[in-house]
Amino acid sequence: MQTQTLGTPLILLLLVFFFGGTFLLSLSIGRSRENADSYMTAGNRVGFGISAASMTATWIWAASLYASATSGYTYGVSGPIHYGLWGALMILFIYPFGRRIRSIAPNAHTLAEILQARHGRSSQLILAGSNVLGSLLSLTSNFIAGGALISMLSPLSFSAGILMIGTGVLLYTLWSGVRASILTDFIQVCAMLGAVVIIVPAVFFAAGGPEIFVTGAVHLTPEQQSFFSSDAFFNQGAPYIAAVLAYAIGNQTIAQRLFAVREDKIKQTFITATVGYGTTVIGVGILGVLALYLGVEPLDGDTNNLIPQLATMYLGPLLLCVFFVMIIGSLASTADSDLAAMSSIVMTDIYGRNIAKNGEANPRLMLLIGRMTMIAATLIALYFASSKFNILELLVLVGAIWGALVFPVIASFYWERVTNRAFTVSVLAALMVFFPVRFGWIALEGGVALVTDIVSVIGVGVIAGLMIFGFLGRRAGIAAGFIASVGVLPFGIGFLHTYPILTASLLAYAVSMLLCVALSWRASERFDFAQISEKTGSFDEATPAT
Amino acid sequence: MSPTLLSIYVLMFPATVAGVLSFLLRAFFLEWRSAREDGRSMI
Repeated sequence: MQTQTLGTPLILLLLVFFFGGTFLLSLSIGRSRENADSYMTAGNRVGFGISAASMTATWIWAASLYASATSGYTYGVSGPIHYGLWGALMILFIYPFGRRIRSIAPNAHTLAEILQARHGRSSQLILAGSNVLGSLLSLTSNFIAGGALISMLSPLSFSAGILMIGTGVLLYTLWSGVRASILTDFIQVCAMLGAVVIIVPAVFFAAGGPEIFVTGAVHLTPEQQSFFSSDAFFNQGAPYIAAVLAYAIGNQTIAQRLFAVREDKIKQTFITATVGYGTTVIGVGILGVLALYLGVEPLDGDTNNLIPQLATMYLGPLLLCVFFVMIIGSLASTADSDLAAMSSIVMTDIYGRNIAKNGEANPRLMLLIGRMTMIAATLIALYFASSKFNILELLVLVGAIWGALVFPVIASFYWERVTNRAFTVSVLAALMVFFPVRFGWIALEGGVALVTDIVSVIGVGVIAGLMIFGFLGRRAGIAAGFIASVGVLPFGIGFLHTYPILTASLLAYAVSMLLCVALSWRASERFDFAQISEKTGSFDEATPAT
Repeated sequence: MSPTLLSIYVLMFPATVAGVLSFLLRAFFLEWRSAREDGRSMI
């Protein structure tokens, strides 16, 4: 089948239209003297419409659209659900924790800052370091996606593509920080969601409509035709549940929107973002299912090419432009969030709460540091992107590493007994168990397999318990964790170790929980949560954020 | 599964996305109008 491309002039015109438009929009809220706190939190009073759009846009990135389609292509009709549904539900599950975090630290700028107020510097730097690494990898991944798309749709090179994307995103985010990021997210999410509404049905009907499912069924195995594929659940869904819960808790881009939204609008924001993310990502993922039915072979064997391939095969020039804006919107909205997140972490956790003496942080210098951070992060991400590392795998790895942080972080916000020692030791020990299993340095067989299966079953209980705890409280959470572990026990033993990626994540959850609880249980100190609000106040008192 | 049900499966997500988009646009417009009436910035 003949494929369409857009050509250099049209691609450049679309990029100028997209980034020029977002830049002009960011100018409309620019101030000659920005406020350091607003640069990081947008004043804590952003309304529901913009916040929900921004949360949705940030959570949807180019890689999630490509990965959902890959899941559809690999696992069949249930594949996109095992990517999009769990990712969406995690937004919902972290909502109660978000409310708790806002209530104990209403003026905080980063999660790591709250951890410093709660525990001290080591806990803060563990979380801040992992946040910066995660955001840098995410930024790189988005640049790579943009560069690859531009080089596929035009004669422009990959290097020229990443340079244009990096410059465009930096241009509109640099001056106003998260304020610009959140406002432009609204326009970007409209472009993205609007494109999904048009493009998915357009490809479906252009490719043959319902007839595809009759003629193309021969390309699918019975497992791929089933909505209840165990293959899809254990290879895609279950590891993703474990990784994405950690990703949602440990990700500063989500935390930043949590601090930005009006406190009474947190619930609506999270629920809307859940539905918006889920339907968009599953909807685009279904293009992968269609590719499977159509017998499309991914270009160069890379399933990340599936969506652009289908677009070039079945869309005319106008809809191809819409598709291009959808992908650029998805990657730009996440990239600007990553820049804003990294700048906030360096401004707050490196300078504001560590280098500057207590209460003496200079907001002017802070803003300069934030902007310099954005420029440096863009340059580093461009360098990594030009090397074409397999960033997505690294990023998934970072998400899994955050699994070691989830229980200690959440426990620290609720349980007054958790100590800095318990936090640090439990996280480091969980990582020490995670890495050898994740990378196959130890063979999961014999007695080792039995032990990892037993501990993994506890890990299942930890995840289930945390999800229920947020909504229904401690007793229900413990009961849910216990029931989940007992329920999984009969088939988990002798089975879970055959999925080492899942096992590694479950071990991280279990080990961090067991050690954190064991070390905190007998601790004599009782933390007063009121201290957190006092220690995480504004930096820019001279020009209040609200 | 029948082609009709699979077609519904394919098309129900763009339809729901359209609903979410209209919901977000409405909320944005109401906030924009309220901010304009109060003479303040939305963000």
